[in-house]
Amino acid sequence: MNVPAGETKAGLRTWWRPDVHNERRSLTLCAVAAVLGLAIAGGALFNARGTRIAGVPPEDAAVVNQSPILLSDYVAQLKALYNVDPSQATPAQKRAALNGMIREELYVQRGIELGLQNDFIEVRNSLVTAVESQQEVEANATLPTEQELRAFYQDHLQNYQPEGLMTLTDYLAPDLASAQRAVIAVRSGKDLATAMSGAGLRSSGATDDGDEFYFAAEAHIGSRLFSIAKGLHDGQVSDPVADGGRVHVLAMHSNRQPVAEDYGQARDRVLADYRADKIARMRAGTDHFLRERADVQIAKDFR
Amino acid sequence: MPVDQTLGIATARSIRPRIVPILIGVILLLIATVAVAMVVIGRGNRAELLRADADHILDNPRLASKALNRGGKVFLANCAACHGANGRGSTATGTPDLTDQDFLYGAGRVSEIEQIVLHGIRSGDDRGWNLALMPAYGRSVPYAREKLPSLTPREIDQLTSFVRSMNGAAGEDPAAAVAGQNLYQGHGGCWDCHGRDARGDQAIGAPDLTDGKWLRGDGSRRDISRIIREGLRGVSPAFRGRLDPADARAVAAYVASLHHPKEKP
Repeated sequence: MNVPAGETKAGLRTWWRPDVHNERRSLTLCAVAAVLGLAIAGGALFNARGTRIAGVPPEDAAVVNQSPILLSDYVAQLKALYNVDPSQATPAQKRAALNGMIREELYVQRGIELGLQNDFIEVRNSLVTAVESQQEVEANATLPTEQELRAFYQDHLQNYQPEGLMTLTDYLAPDLASAQRAVIAVRSGKDLATAMSGAGLRSSGATDDGDEFYFAAEAHIGSRLFSIAKGLHDGQVSDPVADGGRVHVLAMHSNRQPVAEDYGQARDRVLADYRADKIARMRAGTDHFLRERADVQIAKDFR
Repeated sequence: MPVDQTLGIATARSIRPRIVPILIGVILLLIATVAVAMVVIGRGNRAELLRADADHILDNPRLASKALNRGGKVFLANCAACHGANGRGSTATGTPDLTDQDFLYGAGRVSEIEQIVLHGIRSGDDRGWNLALMPAYGRSVPYAREKLPSLTPREIDQLTSFVRSMNGAAGEDPAAAVAGQNLYQGHGGCWDCHGRDARGDQAIGAPDLTDGKWLRGDGSRRDISRIIREGLRGVSPAFRGRLDPADARAVAAYVASLHHPKEKP
């Protein structure tokens, strides 16, 4: 559209007069603002520094792109690097410690930007461990009531039994008949050592160290013989047992069955187990929650 | 001077509605001013506490007073459930006494206690003290993280004799104590945490076995034997994320003050 010369001149004349409407001025200012806005946005896009917060909070030593470097971590870092407290550290030591922590934070942030969790197994493992540790921290911070602990103790009573103890001799017989003879002799009141040696039985040596915990006895004589031994009373001998191509007779000298500790004795372990149980439940819950909200697609041939 | 009663009443009625909103406004303004002042002062106190050198807070009477006042309340709310309101712990449950001079970790400095408050002991926090755990030598797997040998009941008895004889207990069989010492220095592996001299290691929280102070029980044969057989599994939770950093520091100062150090750390 052609603008008459008179109108153009009038527009220029009224440019600086805010009391007079001037369409050209409005459009020009709009255009300038748009260009300026785009320039600032473009500049920020390529030179992004993150939003600054007003000052560093007192609990932090520094803030890097809004991620805090905690004062307590800084103090620990000074101790780890130079074995000094902040009051003893030289300015150079303080600078070096803080610069190192800032560098680490920047590299962590850069690593996240680059998506290194997709490429490095160590990063992936660390992230998984960190999430699990977080659950552990939360579970360990909870303090159940005594009532809850007692209920847990009652429900898991078998966990609060110390190992049983037994002292036994595992005799080996030359054959089944000799074993039978020895057993009958002992049961009729003959001295154990005399009866065994008289029938030609000798100790296998598997359990000759005196008192043994149940788990150790089981490891020494095997599960089958152990299950028989567990049921023997003090001074009792077993029937002959054929096991592994040999004939055994078990003589029990002392058998102390495990008895659950009372709640007061076991309380620290009950609390630890309660928390371990809570951690396991939290992990299962998290697994379920993450699975449920995730969009997991599995290829047909891997289903 | 004669008074126009009607005018007087009329004037009072017209003034009262103006005074009431003004009074309310003034009161609200005062409340707001006091609230802002409290927040500003509170923030100032918080910043002062956090910015101060933790290990010298107790040397500054003004700062110490504020820290101890706040720390005592935080202690009652978060720590007293296990350590007791007086901080003396319990040898029945194996909870450390915070008022004695026997330090499992560090030397009782505010900064060291603050780290424990924030990150805990065996709490799962990566920055906490997670190194040491007393194994259960009477179990088939004494220690989950590392392969350690189980001990026989006789070996546990011998170690018990050794530990008790180190603490001057009477009636211990000298031969058993010597056998226990050999186990301690040998395949029992006790020295690895408690040190060759059995004086413990504060870097990993291993207790001194020679000082006659017991974390759990009273040093009787039964108690020591049980600890060797069943281990210890105490945990101090990490309060990072649950406590404000200033509260964590205040409670650390409070706990340090409970130790009544004979000399400044």
